[in-house]
Amino acid sequence: MRVLAYELRRLRGLRSTWLLLAAVLLCDAAVAAVLASQAPAGPLPGPAEVRLLTAAVPLLPLPFAALGAGVLGALSYGHEVRHPGLPASQVSYTRRVRLLLGKLLVIGPVAGLLALATLLLDTLAVHLALPAGVSVAAWADPSALSGRVSEALTSAGLSGLADLPGAFAPVALVAGHGVPAALVAFVLLTVVAGWTGVLTASLTRGAAAGVLLLCALPPLLESGVALLLRQTGTPWPARAAELLPFQSGVEWAYGWVYGGDRGAAPGGAALTDPALLAAMAAPAAALLLVALLVQARRREL
Amino acid sequence: MIQITGLTKVCGKGAPPAVLDLTFDARPGLVTALLGPEGAGKSTALRLMLELERGQGVTLFDGRTYRRLRRPEREVGVLLPGPGEGAAAMAGHPGRKARSHLRMLAAVVGVPARRVDELLEQTRLAPVAGQRLRTFSPGMHRRLALAAALLGDPGTLLLDAPTEGLSPRNVEWFHSFLRSFAVAGGTVLVTTRTPQEAAQLADRVITLDRGRPVADQPVAEFCRTRLSPEVAVRGPQMARLADLLVSQGAEVRRDGGAGLAVAGIGRTEIGELAYRHGILLHELADRVVEQPAPKAALPVSSGRSGHIHAQPKPAAEPAEAEPAAPKPQDDATLPIQALPVASVATALSALAVVAPEPRAREDTAPTVAVDRLFWDGPSPGSGDREAATDLLLDDTVRLRRLTPKAAPAAAPATPDDHRSE
Repeated sequence: MRVLAYELRRLRGLRSTWLLLAAVLLCDAAVAAVLASQAPAGPLPGPAEVRLLTAAVPLLPLPFAALGAGVLGALSYGHEVRHPGLPASQVSYTRRVRLLLGKLLVIGPVAGLLALATLLLDTLAVHLALPAGVSVAAWADPSALSGRVSEALTSAGLSGLADLPGAFAPVALVAGHGVPAALVAFVLLTVVAGWTGVLTASLTRGAAAGVLLLCALPPLLESGVALLLRQTGTPWPARAAELLPFQSGVEWAYGWVYGGDRGAAPGGAALTDPALLAAMAAPAAALLLVALLVQARRREL
Repeated sequence: MIQITGLTKVCGKGAPPAVLDLTFDARPGLVTALLGPEGAGKSTALRLMLELERGQGVTLFDGRTYRRLRRPEREVGVLLPGPGEGAAAMAGHPGRKARSHLRMLAAVVGVPARRVDELLEQTRLAPVAGQRLRTFSPGMHRRLALAAALLGDPGTLLLDAPTEGLSPRNVEWFHSFLRSFAVAGGTVLVTTRTPQEAAQLADRVITLDRGRPVADQPVAEFCRTRLSPEVAVRGPQMARLADLLVSQGAEVRRDGGAGLAVAGIGRTEIGELAYRHGILLHELADRVVEQPAPKAALPVSSGRSGHIHAQPKPAAEPAEAEPAAPKPQDDATLPIQALPVASVATALSALAVVAPEPRAREDTAPTVAVDRLFWDGPSPGSGDREAATDLLLDDTVRLRRLTPKAAPAAAPATPDDHRSE
């Protein structure tokens, strides 16, 4: 408990935290608006919707929100190294581990909230910035809704989103077929990125090195896994691609390995598979293990 | 009570050890100082005590190592220099405010926020509690770090160079605070570079030289062997004055071109003497001369402190080993050990005579402040106890746990304001 209180106070008392969060939100909204204004006329496909909402830029290894969460996590650990608190919290192993876990526990929800906030802001920005010719299928056509959303709507006595007042129009952006699942995956990815930031900074004992390692991880992991799959002859699992439609890194690796474009077809069942969740959390879990082992060898944080 | 046994740190093969077999006790109610020049291994020793570095040796804080203490912040307060060199050391992140910094640390220790405000008052940081740390001066940083160390109300303080690079006012504040902390029953262990500070602050002085402990002395003995008061005199007729001073029983040596360094006679007496004989003076000033530290090559003391009160170790006092035979080389620039029967080198003749009436200096063992070493008044050596009681009566630095019911904003004895520094 004390560690959590400490970490919350630490995070709250720093101006850089708020600046970073604000910068992430602003960048995200701006990029989403720019991308939306360039959308071609006609009905908006599901993957494109997800791409707009998460403001995925092809060159970045991670979405903005995930990157922001990772930087926040890396700074949170780098702060301990550069400006150590009381020596008592650095000396014993249990206290160091407690501090690390406290940081993870605080950064996780913060990253999740950050992801949700960016989604909210991006939905509005996309809705406002979409050109007149672009139509969102889920608004007019109940058959384009995702299963859960249509269930909820029918239980509320509505046949489709169009029955709602016009102010709810942005909701259609997140209610398309397969989009909610992809967005939940995005939130999870942000949380995992935040944790990874803390852990990489703890391994490298520095915020900058931690962020660099964090940025290098997704392309390395993805291309490594893709190469491995190609060696063993297994095709790239379709579900993994479904889960990560917004990740530029995975697409880059995919295109490089298999050569050529490929239309992602998001499916609603992706998140229910525990294996995929495990695959997503595996890097963070492996890093946590390594960090705990390294802490045991260290004298200080 | 801190028991330090055999602290050793070897950096690498072939390299000299950073700390070699450091053994002593820091007792409650006393200020113990680790004295040594830069690179002598003081900070390393302190970090070894806290097990922040790998090394050999055991340090017990009331019978437990620091790592095994149940609640270390509540038992041992630690002030280590923050990131940044010397005086630029920061107490925390530059973007934080002082109060939020302390509250954050209070959350770790598990003390209420009330304690934070108390400590801000006590360290005289209350008016600037809402300011960011980047606007703080070195003295404020250091006092904030002290406040952080005191959060858990520990009975032991470990401070690494607490007064280094601070203004004299802050140094004085730190000294009085640490003295009163010790008087209230706390154990204080500080490191310092200057022998003068060690003499002013500490009750025991442990001298380190290149990682080896070379002396472990009570402060009286330390002052006698390592510090000697002198009066610097400068003027055009120094030869005559030197003859007069020698006939008065003073110890005189040449100091530069037209100067004398006089020991064994007070400043006022020298002034009077010069006036009576019509000698023109350009300078007349007190100063403290530092004797060279004993060399590490001597046999290393390994006895526990406290057992050597009665028997001064010969290793600690090389000068007393042969009191009757002063060194033949007469280097005027080198400070000469003050002996009861002193060899006197006058400015002109370097004539050695036996002083007829040596002053009773050995009895006036000063314990608190170096400036009390000087014979200010007609009764030499009566001021040292006064200094101790002065500090005791100083309410502004009295510990909170000593006087729990004291008003938090006890009026300072002097309206000095540390914010201005």
